[in-house]
Amino acid sequence: MRNEMLKGLMLTLLVSVLASCAVNETATVTVSQGNVTQVIESNSGLLSDSLSISDTQTAYAGDMLKAQVSIKNDSSDDLSFSYKYKWLDKAGFEIAIDGRPWSPLTITAYETKSVQAVAPNPSATTFKIMVQN
Amino acid sequence: MKIVKITTFVCASLLLVACSSDPKVSYGDATGVETTTTAFGSTDLQSIAAKLVDDLVSFPPIVRETANRRPVVFVDKIKNKTTEHIDTESITDSIQTKLLQSGKFRFVDMTAVKQIQDQLQFQMDSGLVDPTKAVAFGKQTGAEFMLYGNMSSIVKRNSDTKDVYYKFTLKLMNLESGILEWASEKEIRKTGEKSFFSL
Repeated sequence: MRNEMLKGLMLTLLVSVLASCAVNETATVTVSQGNVTQVIESNSGLLSDSLSISDTQTAYAGDMLKAQVSIKNDSSDDLSFSYKYKWLDKAGFEIAIDGRPWSPLTITAYETKSVQAVAPNPSATTFKIMVQN
Repeated sequence: MKIVKITTFVCASLLLVACSSDPKVSYGDATGVETTTTAFGSTDLQSIAAKLVDDLVSFPPIVRETANRRPVVFVDKIKNKTTEHIDTESITDSIQTKLLQSGKFRFVDMTAVKQIQDQLQFQMDSGLVDPTKAVAFGKQTGAEFMLYGNMSSIVKRNSDTKDVYYKFTLKLMNLESGILEWASEKEIRKTGEKSFFSL
């Protein structure tokens, strides 16, 4: 009886500690203008395992770069996460830091959703899209 | 028995520390998703501004209009038809800032008209300003376009769930012709459910 109580208490403590250590996961896709490259960086396996970038498109509205990214949920569960666009100029400087918010998005199992954005000004030549849960 | 007592004491201490009266202060991401309540929040404001600015600067007739010049716009008040108190000027401020930073539009600020009049009056009448360096009356640029709109909401609830739907509509009118040149909407749905523990 005493051992079971002890085990229960230890388990509760362990779960509390693990819950407080949960981290945000971020995956980054970089699309370079002209020579289209995709780099997926992730500090954890969950999002990079469950989500994939199925397509990226870029075009110009006048002189403003606009981008569309199709995100696919490869898992059999609905996924709720948020995404954010970052825009970079030719020299690699980020434009309008914090100019765009993290936007919530839910994708059902095996579904693909497209998200679009327009650069904050004409100096943008490259963008990144970041996702986190 | 002693181990159980020690473990219980440690748990109780942890709980007391966690419940101490001094709040823990930390800085968060101002652009992060905020879901504290279903009321209008920072994520709603930021997503409205981002979506409507994207729509406006990429609308083909506006792209043509702004290709070689920066039209002058004034922002009228946004009518708040929701049941909440929402600072709609804060939304239009964000939209105006993003449009200015895009380099596509210029603005006249109708909220500063009184201060401008006072300053011009001071320059003309106080006798303190060199008349050759004083700003002349009647030289300001008139706005060609007006940005205005509405914000409405539909709220539904039952014993467990509250559903809030927001619709923000923004329009751009040509002041000379009275023609509506562009309009766009941003819709937001938020649902709050009572958790099992908050009975």
